Amino acid sequence: MVFLSWMADFIDSLAKRHRLLPWLIAYVLLLPMPFVLSALFSEYLIDLANRICLFILLAVGLNIVKGFCGQVTVGHIGLYAIGAVTSAVLALEPGGFGGALGFGWPIWLAIPTAVLVTGFAGLIVGLPSVRLEGAYLALATLGLGESVRIFIAVTPALGSSTGLMMIPAPSIGSFVFDSFTSYYYLVMTAAVVGIYFSFSILRSATGRAFQAIREDTIAASVNGINVVKYKLLAFVLSALYAGLAGALFAHMPPGYLHHNNFTVIEMVTLLLMVVLGGIGNVWGGVIGAIVVAIAYDQTKDLVFYFMERPIVIQPLVFGLSMVFLVMFMPRGIGGWIEDFQRNRRFIRRSEERLGGSTRNS
Amino acid sequence: MRLLNKVLAGVVTAGVGLGAAAAYAEDIRVGITMRMVSENGQAYGQMVMDEIDAINKAGGIHGNMIKATLMNDECKSDKGVANANKLIFQEKVHLLIGSTCSSVSLPIVDVTAKAGVPQMIPHSTNGKITQKGSEWVFRIPVSGRYYGGVAAKYVGENIGKKIAYICAADAASVNDCASMQAQMRKQFGAEPAYVADVQEKEVDFRSHMQKIKSMGVDGIMVAALAETMARALVQSYEAGIGEDVRRIGSSSASNAPVPKIAGDAVKGVFFTAAYSAADSRPIAKLFNEMTRSRYGIHAPDHDFSQAYDLVRIMEMALKNAKLTGSLAEDRTAIRDAIANVQGYQGLASGPISFCAAPTPQCRDGNRTAVLIGYTKGGENFETEVLARVTMDENFGLE
Repeated sequence: MVFLSWMADFIDSLAKRHRLLPWLIAYVLLLPMPFVLSALFSEYLIDLANRICLFILLAVGLNIVKGFCGQVTVGHIGLYAIGAVTSAVLALEPGGFGGALGFGWPIWLAIPTAVLVTGFAGLIVGLPSVRLEGAYLALATLGLGESVRIFIAVTPALGSSTGLMMIPAPSIGSFVFDSFTSYYYLVMTAAVVGIYFSFSILRSATGRAFQAIREDTIAASVNGINVVKYKLLAFVLSALYAGLAGALFAHMPPGYLHHNNFTVIEMVTLLLMVVLGGIGNVWGGVIGAIVVAIAYDQTKDLVFYFMERPIVIQPLVFGLSMVFLVMFMPRGIGGWIEDFQRNRRFIRRSEERLGGSTRNS
Repeated sequence: MRLLNKVLAGVVTAGVGLGAAAAYAEDIRVGITMRMVSENGQAYGQMVMDEIDAINKAGGIHGNMIKATLMNDECKSDKGVANANKLIFQEKVHLLIGSTCSSVSLPIVDVTAKAGVPQMIPHSTNGKITQKGSEWVFRIPVSGRYYGGVAAKYVGENIGKKIAYICAADAASVNDCASMQAQMRKQFGAEPAYVADVQEKEVDFRSHMQKIKSMGVDGIMVAALAETMARALVQSYEAGIGEDVRRIGSSSASNAPVPKIAGDAVKGVFFTAAYSAADSRPIAKLFNEMTRSRYGIHAPDHDFSQAYDLVRIMEMALKNAKLTGSLAEDRTAIRDAIANVQGYQGLASGPISFCAAPTPQCRDGNRTAVLIGYTKGGENFETEVLARVTMDENFGLE
């Protein structure tokens, strides 16, 4: 606790010099991570770190619409799929090996286009939020998300059942991002920038409008906030994150996409990340993504033998975790972080008051 | 069980030939990634582990133990790739076995090709797996490109040319469906009478069946995974399509849940596979007995036999490979040893042979498909062998 408090004070002091300074330091500290992981453990953990970075982008993006703006959406994985498939199809060569559609665009053009297309799809997914709330909105977004997956599954031009294969890895000149380590720098940069922008949104007037809508739609409207505009904006911003995560997933070696990567199970796993992390808390989403991804990786082959029959217990563990989290830790890890920050502020103000009264006396 | 191992030990020993005992002192690490989400899926994985355990108990490979790591990929490509990466870069395996599903094996081929790790495919049939040109991949099952030809020939000559198709959206079924249609077109100039592309886990086929009924077709091909296929077969009878319209299954009709779930609706259904439990060879009878006593399987499907054959071929190759202790060199040696396997005769209906070139002709080692018909459905289902056909190595590549 003392260490955390010291760290928080240190970060505050850095931010006072320049608001980007703590981010730059964090970024520099993350740079040698692949070499540390490779030297101390194994190269595989770099691959895991890459996937965690993608989950962070997804969780932080989902937090904007769900946590900041309070809109219940379970179609986020469909947006992730749109970003992935769009970027893949744009970058694949026409008449390539898999027989799917291909336009042969440069990857650095395909990725931003895919992000924009996903943003537009986010607008469409957000439209029901104008009229629907709660469980009804959840159902509508679930339907939209699942229909995206089914559309991919039955469309040969988008890979259908065979999948999109041999999707090229990004490159700069002759340098190709086709190894775990090189790809880490792409996804880690995207994750850090994504987290930074999420904080920027939260602290801006837009972020405050989102929170006002989350707390009370009618009160926000009465106070002059254009509820429809901000709800749709939240969906679009969230979709941009999903689109970027999807595009980076598509180009990550071995460059293969299949509609099975975007099922309801993936959506539930993503929700678990956000709920565990704490809905509405940016750091919570980040921590949730890290914890769930590592826990998933470590537990997925746990087998329990009952009457000599193997039972894979991970789905049960994840399902029960979700139930217990909602019951006993509804604010997730983010709740602890907020409590910690609140206590720090309280202690600091108390110290300042005490210091002032001592000087007065 | 011991008798079966003795029979196959003879085969393996014959294949070992002059394989030299190497001065290698470590465990041989083998990684396995399979679809372990169903009772049968778990049994396939368990059987591979049990067989490796039996090799170890019998003294291992020239005294070296095989250390196997089994992982579940849930038939999802991202999880399969993660498993492959973990097995290759963390467990540092010498050989990778996987996967059950074609959509998982396809991306793993790129992972193993880049990392230089030999990969043995236990179940996936999608033709593209060996068409990627990887030097490191070897397929034990019969490729989907052969199945289509065998089924089309039988259908065109014995049933008729007016065929309706129900094609589910999993990689193997789409491939089987497309291959059958292409072969019917090529061999008999027959266009499909009706084609329905359905979801991988579709539950309602009634509207399709009503349309098919009104068309008066000669046969219906149902290409889908086991449970989906069983539902479609049952609903075809519920729709009133009579027994005179023959039902043709894709290769997954071989899976035990099909006759168990479909019951009497499976009677008369025929399909192509790599192995039939109705095989009268002594080796097949011993295998059937082993799976029954060990895993409670009434009649093993070709996924069991292929997993079993794979372990035997792996054992043969490992015994032949000259291992040195250098991981990269050992992986190459194992790859070359698998490529040298010629005429392995195990449970598969024909010999399995590989060669060095990274082409489908060399790496689709099993070219003999067996045509099987169900004679009884339910828990105690029964099958009969209709025909055995060995295809030309270039078949389906035009």
